[in-house]
Amino acid sequence: MKPAPFDYVRCANVPEAIAALSGDEGAKVIAGGQSLVPLMAMRLARPTLLVDVNDVGLDGITVERDVIRIGACTRHRRLERDPVIARVAPLLQEAAGLIGYPAIRTRGTIGGSLVHADPVAELPTVLVAAGGFVVVRSGAGTRVIAAVDLFTGFLDTTLEHDEIVEDVLLPVAGTRHGSSFCEWSPREGDFATAGVALAIERDDDGRCVALGAAACGLASVPLDCSTLLAAVLGETSASGALLRQIARVMRADLAGDPDRADLVGLLAARAVHRAFARSDERSAAAA
Amino acid sequence: MIGERTERREDARLTSGRGRYLADHDVPGLAHVAILRSTSAHAVIRGIDVSGATALPGVIAVVTQADLDRAGARPMTHRLPLLGVLPLEWGLLARDRARFVGEPIAAVVAATRSIAEDAMELIVIDEEQLPAVVDPFVALAPGAPLLYSEWGTNEFFRMTSLPPVLGDVLATAPYVKQFRLTDHRIAALPLEGHGVQAAPDPATGTLHVYASNQQPHQLRTVIAETCGLDEQSVRVVAPDMGGGFGNKQHFTREECLTAMLALITGRPVRWIQDRTEGLISSIHSREQVHDVTVGYDDSGKVLAYRVDVTANVGNPILYFSGIGPAIVTVGALEGGYDFGVVGFDLRCVATNTCPIGAYRGFGQPQAHFSSERTLDAIAVDLGLDPIDVRRRNLLPDGPRPWITGGGARIDVGPLGPHLDALVTEFGYGRWRDLQSEARADGRLVGIGVSALVQGTAPTQYGVAGRFGSYESAAVAVLPDGRVTVAVGTKSQGQGHETTLAQVAADVFGVGVDRVTVTDGDTAQLPYGMGTWGSRTAVMAGGAVLRAATQLREKMDRIAAGMQTASAEPPTFSEIAEEAWWQTHRLPADEEPGLQQTVVYTPGNTMPVPDEHGHMNFDETFAAHMTAVAVEVDPETGDVRVLDAVLVSDCGVVINPMVVEGQHQGGFAQGLGAVLFEEVRYDDDGQPLTSTLVDYTIPEAPDVPRLRVVQRETPSAVAGGFRGVGEASIIATPAVIAGAVADALAPLGVEITSTRLHAHYLRRAIRAAGYTPDASAFASR
Ligand SMILES: Cc1cc2nc3c(=O)[nH]c(=O)nc-3n(C[C@H](O)[C@H](O)[C@H](O)COP(=O)(O)OP(=O)(O)OC[C@H]3O[C@@H](n4cnc5c(N)ncnc54)[C@H](O)[C@@H]3O)c2cc1C
Repeated sequence: MKPAPFDYVRCANVPEAIAALSGDEGAKVIAGGQSLVPLMAMRLARPTLLVDVNDVGLDGITVERDVIRIGACTRHRRLERDPVIARVAPLLQEAAGLIGYPAIRTRGTIGGSLVHADPVAELPTVLVAAGGFVVVRSGAGTRVIAAVDLFTGFLDTTLEHDEIVEDVLLPVAGTRHGSSFCEWSPREGDFATAGVALAIERDDDGRCVALGAAACGLASVPLDCSTLLAAVLGETSASGALLRQIARVMRADLAGDPDRADLVGLLAARAVHRAFARSDERSAAAA
Repeated sequence: MIGERTERREDARLTSGRGRYLADHDVPGLAHVAILRSTSAHAVIRGIDVSGATALPGVIAVVTQADLDRAGARPMTHRLPLLGVLPLEWGLLARDRARFVGEPIAAVVAATRSIAEDAMELIVIDEEQLPAVVDPFVALAPGAPLLYSEWGTNEFFRMTSLPPVLGDVLATAPYVKQFRLTDHRIAALPLEGHGVQAAPDPATGTLHVYASNQQPHQLRTVIAETCGLDEQSVRVVAPDMGGGFGNKQHFTREECLTAMLALITGRPVRWIQDRTEGLISSIHSREQVHDVTVGYDDSGKVLAYRVDVTANVGNPILYFSGIGPAIVTVGALEGGYDFGVVGFDLRCVATNTCPIGAYRGFGQPQAHFSSERTLDAIAVDLGLDPIDVRRRNLLPDGPRPWITGGGARIDVGPLGPHLDALVTEFGYGRWRDLQSEARADGRLVGIGVSALVQGTAPTQYGVAGRFGSYESAAVAVLPDGRVTVAVGTKSQGQGHETTLAQVAADVFGVGVDRVTVTDGDTAQLPYGMGTWGSRTAVMAGGAVLRAATQLREKMDRIAAGMQTASAEPPTFSEIAEEAWWQTHRLPADEEPGLQQTVVYTPGNTMPVPDEHGHMNFDETFAAHMTAVAVEVDPETGDVRVLDAVLVSDCGVVINPMVVEGQHQGGFAQGLGAVLFEEVRYDDDGQPLTSTLVDYTIPEAPDVPRLRVVQRETPSAVAGGFRGVGEASIIATPAVIAGAVADALAPLGVEITSTRLHAHYLRRAIRAAGYTPDASAFASR
């Protein structure tokens, strides 16, 4: 398990990295290396040049009114532990903590996870559920890609070869926000067999007025499930009847492996239950 | 001293990064080997073009079987001495046919492993795909693709023992049940994979081999044979090992191949198995199907027990092959029970899958799984408590040895008291109460029990003609009063440097820190049998005890004649000095020095029929009783162990902490086997579990503590020891299955397989008509 021969360049800034990528069709960005290196070791990925972006200044978290901007090289561990993230993007914080093990999380980056686009990875699912965006740059300038437009299939995105993800944009959670990432895997720390990311916003009467949800494990990309969960809109609590209805609808309407659809339904019900509970807590704390 | 919880002396080294494993033996000029393996499950190899690979800079040699033939390599054989085993020989590389994905086809020697892997990609194989067969029943059906057309069948071996009365007893038994039980395929997966390094010495014409192997002496024999060398020309050293678990008990093609590559290139070479090679090509285990017929009376007593075993042995090109464990299975069907009349019909079937071979437990987990599932089924059928059903069937307290129908000489103590201890220590009654409460709440809690009598320190003559039942030890007391012990066994992490030192220290009455134990080096002793089969405490422990005792007696004789300045008797060191240096003062008939080599056998085994037709494969037996409580989550299929207790009787305990460690480790593996691990193939023989992403082993959070209660019934062999290394890995799959079956009984789910992984249970629970409760699940 040794990678095929490759060259390596550590870049000091984004333009340098873009230039390196543009100059070699077989070049690939490396960030935390936690997905790319195993693929290289098995020779499933054979980049001719590794363009290291760890020093190009892409880490950092800034909150701009109702948007949170996260540098692509921000490590999972930081997302998990940063108090700002906990406040403005609790779904992301919870999801980051579910990735692998601490050793993986201290190396792996949000940009790497999104571009790697593993269909059972947590962060792509969060991006779809939260309706986030990525900001990418190439020699031609920058563009912004919405979550639903980013993922196209198993380990595949709409990113061009010479494009680098600079930032990830997510909405800032409101005062009555509630969210949950629920997943199931046979062992702790494993990639999930199935998972659901869900976030709700509620009005002053406690009614759910907005909902974003996505499921992983069912298809080659995270599946937007907000429509399937529309029954939650307008509800003021996660009643048993509502939860049972959610699971039933999802089990019946989700295509693909029935076992996974079954799990996703159950996990969605749990996510709704927890999102309401957390929204209640957050509202109480805000009051 | 024997019986003390002496801290493991090797751990200072092994837990601080100072252990020296196979890959830590760099020598100048070392070259690296990569092995090209078949990507087809079944194919005719028409040609191999190595020209591109040979031309790559840094490549030293590219070798195929044709090159090995030219270099004088000899074929390997299974060495099975049994009548009726089909003949089979194979080269160190596939010659003209590949019969499983992962079968070695060519080897590259290069300056680095990376270059060797680059070169491997340049080898072109011209092959013609053949239909593959994966399932043993399909392989037995007429018209199935044949692995070896010269056999005319895929049935590699068949052995039956069906006493005529068996049919009569079954026909007249008040109750008869028939069912099929399945043991799925797993892999032993030592953390450190296989590896071997071989260096020729041009000055002497000898070959120095490092191998991560449990049986260095036997490996020496096999390497010498396949390379065409004298046995004395090969030295095998097994360095620190990161586990073996039987997986490194075989003498593999790769080990002999690497030795040949050293001879061919004239340089030191090293091959280190990578994880994918490990998972697809380095010996799988356990896969068997048992068709059970049991007759019993209304007290739950078994009157007759017939098990037809179909064992998938893969492509059986393995020294002793998957037949070995299967034979042990049919010999262990009764375990510690008296099942009246017992019969079996064993078929070992070749398929286009990785060879099946040894894994800790070696055929016994399958036998035990079937006996325990059978007793549980009887208990359910008759509405009896599973503990009571076991009591009805346990061997009576006397006589000892209890001689079974086949001739096994079972020497365990009374079993009832062990079961009593289990009931008390586990709190069986309390758990049944808790279970009722849980059921009333709709929770699925179950209890499983197992009563295991295990043969330990076996002779394996029947499964490989050259496995004698003995062990060697050389003990010396040096002039400074330090004790050295060399043994023919090989620790893979079990703590032998501590336990065998305790045995010697106990005899000499010195501190354990005075004793140094070494193992795994063929230069130290003429021959040894290695470590496997729960044998080291019994066999090496006995050998060390014997040698040390003889030395101790000699020291006493020398001391008796010594003059000391004070009135004090001479010290241990003073006697040692006397023996080595003041030889003129020794008693007339006393040889100088203090060193003793012993080749020890307890002498209880008889691997061929004696005048009564009896055979006994085990030097001594151990008794282990286990109980667990589990809860199954019906929504996800997750199994959570709530409590687990094992009552252990392995005779005289050398080190209780080490025994606990053995049980805890076996528990982890047994739990892993049924809850997480499975080697899977698709119908074309492509492996689906070739990385640790797919072959999921339990990790620390997944393995709860096993509570171990130790009881001691000394055996009659030297030291009173009994083997212990495999008990909990044998007991655990059965006892977890029993608990899961008990937990799921209210849903009408039956457990007839070792596949208790969450996804299987989830499906079985759904198939039984259970509708998940999303609301309850959500709030958990
Ligand atoms: C044992 C183990 C367990 C794991 N468990 C999980 C888990 O449970 N859940 C989970 O989601 N993940 C898991 N992972 C993967 C982990 O989250 C990775 O960190 C992540 O998927 C990739 O991030 P990275 O920074 O390591 O990316 P890299 O491996 O460096 O790169 C991944 C891909 O992204 C590209 N890339 C990286 N950064 C950029 C950028 N800024 N712009 C453009 N392209 C870029 C690379 O070219 C490459 O194609 C696990 C990994 C391991 C080794």
